Amino acid sequence: MKNLFLLLLCAPLLALAGQAGTALKADSVRAEPYADAKTTGSLNKGDSVEILTKKGAWLQIKSKESAGWVRLLSVKRGGASSGNTLGGVADIASGRAGTGKVVSTTGIRGLSAEELKAAKFNEDEMKKMESNAMSAAEGEKFASAGGLSKSNLAYFKGAK
Amino acid sequence: MNKLLISLLIAAGIFSTQSQAFNLGKELKKAAQEKIEEVKAEETPAPVEASPAAPVVTPVASPAPTTTPPQAAPVVPAAASAEAPAPEKKQEFNWKNPSNEEEVALGREITGSILGAAPLVKDEALQKYVNKVGRWVASQSERADLPWKFGVIESADLNAFAAPGGYVLITKGLYQKLQNEAQLAGVLGHEVAHVVKKHQLKVLQKQQLLNAGAGWLSDKFGKNDKLAKKALANGAEISARGLDKEAEFEADRMGVVLSSRAGYDAFGLPEVLQSIGQTNKSDNSVVLLYKTHPAPDERLAKLGDSAGSKLDNVKAGKTLENRLYKLN
Repeated sequence: MKNLFLLLLCAPLLALAGQAGTALKADSVRAEPYADAKTTGSLNKGDSVEILTKKGAWLQIKSKESAGWVRLLSVKRGGASSGNTLGGVADIASGRAGTGKVVSTTGIRGLSAEELKAAKFNEDEMKKMESNAMSAAEGEKFASAGGLSKSNLAYFKGAK
Repeated sequence: MNKLLISLLIAAGIFSTQSQAFNLGKELKKAAQEKIEEVKAEETPAPVEASPAAPVVTPVASPAPTTTPPQAAPVVPAAASAEAPAPEKKQEFNWKNPSNEEEVALGREITGSILGAAPLVKDEALQKYVNKVGRWVASQSERADLPWKFGVIESADLNAFAAPGGYVLITKGLYQKLQNEAQLAGVLGHEVAHVVKKHQLKVLQKQQLLNAGAGWLSDKFGKNDKLAKKALANGAEISARGLDKEAEFEADRMGVVLSSRAGYDAFGLPEVLQSIGQTNKSDNSVVLLYKTHPAPDERLAKLGDSAGSKLDNVKAGKTLENRLYKLN
């Protein structure tokens, strides 16, 4: 157990310490990042949590009532009233605060539906795009250079 | 399903009044009703229809008369259409069952139009990098054989686009939000899924069938290749209109799986959705995204519900933040 804890500390975890989050749905909180780990509590939809670390499919969180691991997809980053005007926590964390705001502060319009409808085919740009294409072999070479290896994972069906 | 058809009907109505300056109203509706049946039939293996889009021009060897009224698309057995002379076939755009080449031609038109609105970012190293990541992710799909092409376009918007045949674009605004290569792989995986599932192609096919059913297009333009052109005259329009919600949820699920198959952390796409969700909804950079996609929170919740316990033990993939190409 102690070893596992140490291992966790040393693992290259995404630094999320102290980030605010909100439960997107009700879910169990577990003692360890495994589905069959002991349940230590539960989250209700809308509960505020503090996100500590990420490991695989799991987030370690702390809420008023419980602490432990919860499925990553059950929690969103940001407070309950996310979509704030202060810029995202992610932006701050990545040192990119403000990039997304340039648009609104300078009044540059986004790519609108009207612009797309009125757009004319651009052969030069298309040729450029085509010239940058990669072969499957080039993709594979790039993948192995990054230490990426294929794995099997089946598609899963949609929930109702 | 019905919702989609209804919205298509509306869209078709708008275009016809705008471009033709006369009201088709009832006739279009009636013809569309007939075509809806055909569209439904199309989803199960059915006999091949010869030139459904432009019945006016039929292959010489076809048993259908050359003066067939446009309202009634001739239905010929598969064997008969196979006997049609090759040169004639080449001039037609096979909307019913387009070949990969036809799909690529269609996607080229659509993508070229988007590029007309927003050109590629002038950074060849960036473009090549995105192509490498995208190509590797696409290679994990069922359509690895397509000539996949990726690009980053000059736009501060947060968005990405896919077009039939393997064309994928991501905006510079969204690229700049990315924190690692796994997140890029997730976004590209979502778009690859749209192509693999032919989401846009299906919308275009249905629209095309509705148009053909209305008859006016055939009268006005006659030839199939012109019909294809007409359908693509608003090349990028389909990207502005978006797909139905289910198609987006499906692409989210597949995007997660494709990037995981490629060896990346499976949660790159959800992380990007998290990040987009923190952008003010009224911000100009997300207007089109919100117009064409369900809200990020809804997408995340849906993804979580669908995944259930299926991702609990997913292999921890790589995030490769250090390899993410940095834009100046």
